[in-house]
Amino acid sequence: MDLAFTPEEQKFREDIHAWVKDNLPQDISHKVHNSLHLSREDHQRWAQILGKKSWLGYGWPKQFGGPGWTAVQKHLFEEELALAGAPRVIPFGPVMVAPVIMAFGSPEQQQRFLPGIASGEVWWSQGYSEPGSGSDLASLKTRAERKGDKYVVNGQKTWTTLAQYGEWIFCLVRTSTEGKPQTGISFLLIDMKSPGVTVRPITMLDGGHEVNEVFFDNVEVPAENLIGEENKGWTYAKHLLSHERTNIADVNRAKRELERVKRIAKSESVWDDVRFRDEIAKLEVDIVALEMLVLRVLSAEKSGKNSLDIAGLLKIKGSEIQQRYSELMMLAVGPYALPFIKEAMEAGWQGDYVGAAYAAPLAPTFFNMRKTTIYGGSNEVQRNIVAQTVLG
Amino acid sequence: MDFEFTEDQSQLRDAVHRWVDKGYSFEKRRAIVKEGGFDRGVYNQLAELGLTALYIPGDHGGMDMGPVEGMVVMEELGRGIVMEPVSHALICGATLSAYAPDAVKSQWLPKIASGEALVVLAHIEKKARWKLNVCETQAAQSGGAWTISGAKGVVPAGDKADAFIVPAIANGKIALFVVERGAIGVAARGYVTQDGSRAAEVTFHSSPATLVTNDGLAALEYAVDIGIAATCAEGVGAIDKTMELTVEYLNTRKQFGVALSTFQALRHRVADMKMQQELARSMSYYASLKLNASADERRRAMARAKYQLGVAMRFVGQQSVQMHGGIGVTDEYAGSHYFKKLTQLEMTFGDTLHHLGEVSARMQDTAGVFA
Repeated sequence: MDLAFTPEEQKFREDIHAWVKDNLPQDISHKVHNSLHLSREDHQRWAQILGKKSWLGYGWPKQFGGPGWTAVQKHLFEEELALAGAPRVIPFGPVMVAPVIMAFGSPEQQQRFLPGIASGEVWWSQGYSEPGSGSDLASLKTRAERKGDKYVVNGQKTWTTLAQYGEWIFCLVRTSTEGKPQTGISFLLIDMKSPGVTVRPITMLDGGHEVNEVFFDNVEVPAENLIGEENKGWTYAKHLLSHERTNIADVNRAKRELERVKRIAKSESVWDDVRFRDEIAKLEVDIVALEMLVLRVLSAEKSGKNSLDIAGLLKIKGSEIQQRYSELMMLAVGPYALPFIKEAMEAGWQGDYVGAAYAAPLAPTFFNMRKTTIYGGSNEVQRNIVAQTVLG
Repeated sequence: MDFEFTEDQSQLRDAVHRWVDKGYSFEKRRAIVKEGGFDRGVYNQLAELGLTALYIPGDHGGMDMGPVEGMVVMEELGRGIVMEPVSHALICGATLSAYAPDAVKSQWLPKIASGEALVVLAHIEKKARWKLNVCETQAAQSGGAWTISGAKGVVPAGDKADAFIVPAIANGKIALFVVERGAIGVAARGYVTQDGSRAAEVTFHSSPATLVTNDGLAALEYAVDIGIAATCAEGVGAIDKTMELTVEYLNTRKQFGVALSTFQALRHRVADMKMQQELARSMSYYASLKLNASADERRRAMARAKYQLGVAMRFVGQQSVQMHGGIGVTDEYAGSHYFKKLTQLEMTFGDTLHHLGEVSARMQDTAGVFA
């Protein structure tokens, strides 16, 4: 047993650290460090900087143009990016659909789609949830009917993150109503410029436009956009979920945000309030414990001996921590969390702030973070999964 | 970064595991509690397995092992809620090895290693609570010989031990001494504690003492940190067994015609217990792996670990009793004894609120496993 990374891993970290320092645009990290609004252009600019280095698909194997890093290297890469204030990689392309295309797509599909994902040029969205299918995803109803060499898609997706920027969307669609709901689902790639696709914004409780409804009205999709076999989509989607392991805990970002909680608490003088400070101390222990849990998973993966099947725990704890740090930041600024000036969440806003500039985005961020225990399999669904592994 | 156990460590775990299964059944333990909560014969068996010698150097009859081996042993002893204080052999072996002059090492380390001498840390005072820098016991020197006077409380197996490591004020600051229980002026009033194990109030009246170190506070902090890491590991073992008992019960016990494990309210509680179990194990690893860090880093790490373990031990223990229903609050059922052990471990080497305060006082701008 050893806590320290190997000298090679340390060197790797230092190299990444130096590269990020030289290549992460400061106007972007400023926004990340202060929870200010990131535009499509910000995300794309950073994605393409990573893409040029073949690091947007940092989890990809070499045969598909990725760096072929180990689980530990991926973790260190994520950590250095997060601590430096890089935006989270928008996962739908490089982290979610790409591994499915690699594992189940045809060589033609791989050649057609992977380069645009790797370079960061094409913005992908994820079409899973529907108005009637949230936690019970397999009940989804959006239909794809095969007509000759096309599918005709009708239905509605919802909670589609940043679909207003989307150029392509990967969807779970119903191709059969026979048997169990899971066995009639297919995995389809849809060009969002196709006639009949409509994206409608959903304004969230923080006033932001992060998610959308996406409507499909007789949308014609070439049959060659089907991944793998018809009615096997559920299996492919589950494969995708298994690719979300330690990343789901987001512990590196939590470390960065804990630093920010402390900075804000100090400038607001609640750092010296024992009751407040003890709450920060609890959060600090939570984050260290989560980091240890993540490292244990990485070690198990590295050794290949014992797999540690605790993705559900990582999701639950990680999301609770995200909510807690955003809550503590909001509480730290006291009454000046309350004024709501939407423009103050844009970088470079020249208007009159009511309180400290850093206070303006804190409450909206807190409201925004409520999503974390709901999305990606609600924490209650995660508890069902964890209980299943313990109790059978 | 590697959390796998070596072949030797796994064998050590298996050996202790087997001994607990064979030599420390629940009935055997119950009999020891009846006899006062400590069995020297059992302690000697543990010594024969080498467990009291782990942290003692080979040239003093020890095993030259490290914190991971200590952790493995304490996990297994926790799983069997073993009452004999092996953790104090670890504490005293390591502290004397690190701080005592050669003559003191030669006198005590071989005997601790072999089990011939049971030496325990006697540091708690009524006014100190969990604080290590509060000490009223006084040391005096005349003609090169030391004596100490004062009182120490809740000393594990205090009326059965052969000697104590005792902090006392010498020349205005805390120093550490070895005092034999048979020495002049030493009195021990023994009693049984909540988990069935034995402890004592120990008083010293001008009792002859051997100086271990004048750097007493640093040595005491080191001693307690070894105790914290051992307690964390012991807690993990007790949590593991508590989870086993609870899972078995929920899958067996039927109400409303179905197994309790079919009720979602209980399943979600089990998921929350599993969370605490894995956070506890993670932080126990963390504690043991930080035992050899610099004093500042080590102290911060132990506070974090003991805080997390405290939360976990309380939650798992209390929820286990609740989910067992009536049987969970009977003396007859092993589960209630695990609950009492977990509660007592939370209140050993600093409780959860104390350690939260320590974490809070020691926070820096950045934080993580490596800082």
